[in-house]
Amino acid sequence: MALIRALQNPSEETFGHIGEREKLLLDLDDSDPAKRRWAARDLLGHAEVSVPLLARLNSEQDLSVREVILTSLTRIGDQDAVTGLVDCLRSEDAALRNEAIEAMQSLPEAVGPMMQGLLADTNADLRIFAVNILESLRHPDVEAWLIAVIETDRHVNVCATAVDLLAEVGTPASRAALLGLKARFADEPYIQFAADLSLRRIDAH
Amino acid sequence: MRTDKNDITDDDFQKFREYFYRKTGIDFDLAKRYFVDRRLLERIEATNSGSFRTYFNKLRLEASGLELQQLTNLMTINETYFAREEYQFEALVNSLLPDLIKRKTDTKPIRIWCIPSSSGEEAYTVAMFLLERWPGINKWDVEIISSDIDTGILIKARAGRYSARAVHHLPRAWLQKYFRPIKDEFQISDELREAVEFTRVNLAAPADTRSYRNFDVIFCRNLLIYFDDVSRKAAAETFFDALNPGGFLCLGHSESMSRISSIYTVRKFPSAIVYQKPLESR
Repeated sequence: MALIRALQNPSEETFGHIGEREKLLLDLDDSDPAKRRWAARDLLGHAEVSVPLLARLNSEQDLSVREVILTSLTRIGDQDAVTGLVDCLRSEDAALRNEAIEAMQSLPEAVGPMMQGLLADTNADLRIFAVNILESLRHPDVEAWLIAVIETDRHVNVCATAVDLLAEVGTPASRAALLGLKARFADEPYIQFAADLSLRRIDAH
Repeated sequence: MRTDKNDITDDDFQKFREYFYRKTGIDFDLAKRYFVDRRLLERIEATNSGSFRTYFNKLRLEASGLELQQLTNLMTINETYFAREEYQFEALVNSLLPDLIKRKTDTKPIRIWCIPSSSGEEAYTVAMFLLERWPGINKWDVEIISSDIDTGILIKARAGRYSARAVHHLPRAWLQKYFRPIKDEFQISDELREAVEFTRVNLAAPADTRSYRNFDVIFCRNLLIYFDDVSRKAAAETFFDALNPGGFLCLGHSESMSRISSIYTVRKFPSAIVYQKPLESR
């Protein structure tokens, strides 16, 4: 036995049907997870596939398939994909919620116009998830959104999540809002600590 | 625009450190402060940002992520040479292959994929470790495929001629056995050249990677740090489909799968941490 020169790829199975949308949609429900992963990957090349991908995501139990579906949805990034990901934030499934947050962080242009609505949602948990999205969202309005949160949101946990992030992104523009937050939550030691940290970092300049 | 070294304050450093860790998994402790400051100042100047604050905002907000990539390149700059990060090759012969053959029920060759190939140092190092340090080579056939997107570098890899600097980490006995000196350079033996298949692959193109399957071990070191988040995740998923169940993925020392994908199982071996496609997965 020895090192042997590889036949380039002695693959026995072929996956995917490039150019055949209907077949790929059937594969998306196949019992073989490898086939479902390839279908989710290859559907990227087709139009109007966000809705079936989201439908599969909501019922898919295999983590590896879910990840490929989410990567495809992130790459598609159309209105259907983002709306479906927002719906996932309301799911009882914590893993799905986290996956949706991560996917939305990579979609600044599509998520940006929806952010104000998410931050004003009646559900405080959803508002926290929206702040979580801001953590890695490459969007010029991130600081402005965070300022609005700490100025207006009544829920201490939502404000705490926002002020944590301001320690990283805060500029002098956040100063007044941070002082206002300290006054609004004068009895909350964590808010005092986190706001002071942000202020210290801003004042360092 | 000139910047002053003092522009990077302790708080700036901390802010950058947290951010960079979250984005890349690379953590710079205080001992690296000088290294980090110098590179940050270099990029602040190159981008005409004028201050850390302006530069950091650009870094965080730039939609393309190109500046983050540029900075990551600068922070991780290194060179390829034989036996680089040798502990992973030790893990290959002492832990991964013994683990694999214990479970192997067929007599098909063991398949190893090195990507990116670069100029071939890694793939040839794998070959030498198998021949010199793994008794199992007497019983098993092994295929090594080494792939890169750059066809120019593949020509260099196939030619197998290296500088003294590239081979300086190799044991003298291996150098004598597998290389022939030519002027100031070293020509790798035909035995090794013929043992490695070099192929062109764009890891980001499913059409290219579709047929790359049935691998037992993949080395993908110091490549994913140059990718954006989505591409990094897609690459991890591509490797998942390229691996046999129970197969291993070896990343670079500064790369961590935990920040990319959760589909792998972390395996801690005495000389390295690697990522395994779960045995029960397909």
